[in-house]
Amino acid sequence: MIGRVRTALLAALLVVGLTAPALAQKSVKIGVLTPLSPPGDAAAGQFIVRGAKMGAEDVNARGGVLGGRKIELVIEDDAGTPEKGAAGFRKLASQDQAVAVVGQFHSSVMTAVQALAEQFKVPVFSTQASARQITERHLNYTFRTHVIDPDRCQMWTRWIKERGFKRAALITENTDYGVGLVDETKKAFASMHPGAELKTIIFDRAVVDLTPQLLEIKNWKPDVFLNGGIGTPMYLIIKQAYDVGLHPVVPMLISYDAPVRPEYWKTLGEKGTWASFIVYYHSTMKLTARGEAFRKRYVAEFKEDPIYGAFNAYAQVVLLADALNAAKSDNTDELVKSLLANKFEGWNGTISFSRGEGPYWQQWTPPMLVTQYTKPEMSFADVKIVYPPELKTGDWMPAKR
Amino acid sequence: MDALLFSQYVLSGVVIGVIYSLMALGITFIYSIMKMINWGMGEFYMIGSYVQYALIVNLLGPRLWYVALPLAMGAVFLLGLVIQRFLLRPMFVGGVERRDEYATIITIALMVFFRNLAIVLGGPNQYAPPDYARPMTLVTLPISGNRFVALIGTLVLLALFYLVIKKTWVGRALRGAAQNRVAIQTAGIDVLRLDMLAFGVGVALAAAAGALLAPDFLVYPENGAISTFKGFEIIVIGGLGSVLGSIVGGVLLGVIEALGSVFLSAAYKDLYGFVLLIGLLVFRPTGLFGERERSV
Repeated sequence: MIGRVRTALLAALLVVGLTAPALAQKSVKIGVLTPLSPPGDAAAGQFIVRGAKMGAEDVNARGGVLGGRKIELVIEDDAGTPEKGAAGFRKLASQDQAVAVVGQFHSSVMTAVQALAEQFKVPVFSTQASARQITERHLNYTFRTHVIDPDRCQMWTRWIKERGFKRAALITENTDYGVGLVDETKKAFASMHPGAELKTIIFDRAVVDLTPQLLEIKNWKPDVFLNGGIGTPMYLIIKQAYDVGLHPVVPMLISYDAPVRPEYWKTLGEKGTWASFIVYYHSTMKLTARGEAFRKRYVAEFKEDPIYGAFNAYAQVVLLADALNAAKSDNTDELVKSLLANKFEGWNGTISFSRGEGPYWQQWTPPMLVTQYTKPEMSFADVKIVYPPELKTGDWMPAKR
Repeated sequence: MDALLFSQYVLSGVVIGVIYSLMALGITFIYSIMKMINWGMGEFYMIGSYVQYALIVNLLGPRLWYVALPLAMGAVFLLGLVIQRFLLRPMFVGGVERRDEYATIITIALMVFFRNLAIVLGGPNQYAPPDYARPMTLVTLPISGNRFVALIGTLVLLALFYLVIKKTWVGRALRGAAQNRVAIQTAGIDVLRLDMLAFGVGVALAAAAGALLAPDFLVYPENGAISTFKGFEIIVIGGLGSVLGSIVGGVLLGVIEALGSVFLSAAYKDLYGFVLLIGLLVFRPTGLFGERERSV
């Protein structure tokens, strides 16, 4: 009898002895749910993945989190569609047991997955999804470190007013992002630029021939037109606007930072010249020590300057590691508490989340700048900031033809 | 609404409709001969655009785009022959009982395979070959030079196709196969070889559309989806198996979508074609130029 008990005890000790180190070293998984194939903006997703991977590498090189556990990224493609995003989030939350999910780019996908984030109690981060309702819903597990569309639309309305433009046309897609841009721009024009006229056109994101819409805009004779396409539609608008004689005769402002990517000139050639566009990062910006270290490592690895999506994904992974350490737990409720209670070093400033009014709920906003390409094949490093006035490094220029 | 602007909308619809009819012609041609729907047609459009891009950027240079076009068509024609020989021929010789289901499964599998292959080989990003021609004005419409080239190219290919079908021995054999696959064999014609030819020509037409539209509608893994969708709409509107129906259906669809997107809403552009399609199915189920199937 005693012999049997001894054997059982020895076996139990052996099992505990063998599994305990394994449990102690179990990695902490962070999901990266981002567009990596069409119809999503797959180029954006690739940069987000780059940044997130470098964030995980940095954290692991510093010893990991929670006393030596490694950060493991689980990457899922949402293809820019809510149904694939929802399926990806379910997998990350249930099968992979991710403690948080970063990388959200398309607002339509983000609005679909944030409901699942509440259900699974897993924090989800918007890396570049900017629709107002994302944070306006005041959900406990939704966080954002990106601009909000009302701020974007107010900014471009101020720019339009400063330039003295009285007639503006906005062409955008039938997504949460596009519809949000129309609503917010109408509000901004009504309150900030009351004498000005605004024409808005919402097109189906799947449509590739936008010639009739661009002819309609051209015939309306705007002083400026706003390109609200994301990914392929943004390029189609520029190409077709050029062909019907709208761009660059009429100044064009692109709603986000896609032109900073190397693919921009390859896709558009000289048609990309004279485009003005909104960015959230410029090489002249002052970065934090963490942001500067990331930039140097990124340049060394990829031989090009990082773009904002990579910065933001990097910062999100690193701040999640900081939050896990502060929480001393990988429990997601503890993680949320830690995210709300602490301040984190971001790529260009200190990030903190508070539960503010309206869309300013668990929200941190980076700067927004208007820049302009004035030469074909112009490097983004040579681009001047033309707005806002306090950060300006050059003057906006009308097209020379 | 001034007349000039209205004419521009109509013309832009006509131009895009004619170009889309090339795709529809490929679908309807394959259907006529092989009695199967090729659900992967858009992927041959996509492959055509990639081959065109690769040839222009890596081999021929932007000035020789017109050399790249027949090469892209030829490459996709050969690919079509191989696919037909090894994947679709068993439909007719392998004792397959449910031919429609077999063809559907194979062509949908090809669609998924080629789309993913494009992502693996070329990445998910979009590309564009250099412009074929400078922007110009077509009557009243300011138009991309590429679109004008695509229009002319489409008209030339349609005319060539018509001539081959109407005036040559092969064309007569193909028409015979379209009418009665069994009867044509009694005249000593190898119908399986005609199937290969028809599939190759059909997918080469799709590749031509992809290559012609590459600078305007870009090159990316899912770029064939829209044109396939339009192609199917056009053949239902024009009538399955009718060449004239493909052209008239394409123009009708293009004009209705252009006008609907301007006068109603651009957000529902695809809906207007469907309203036309549903109307036709109710009042003329065979399409504008289709014929009711007769069987004994």
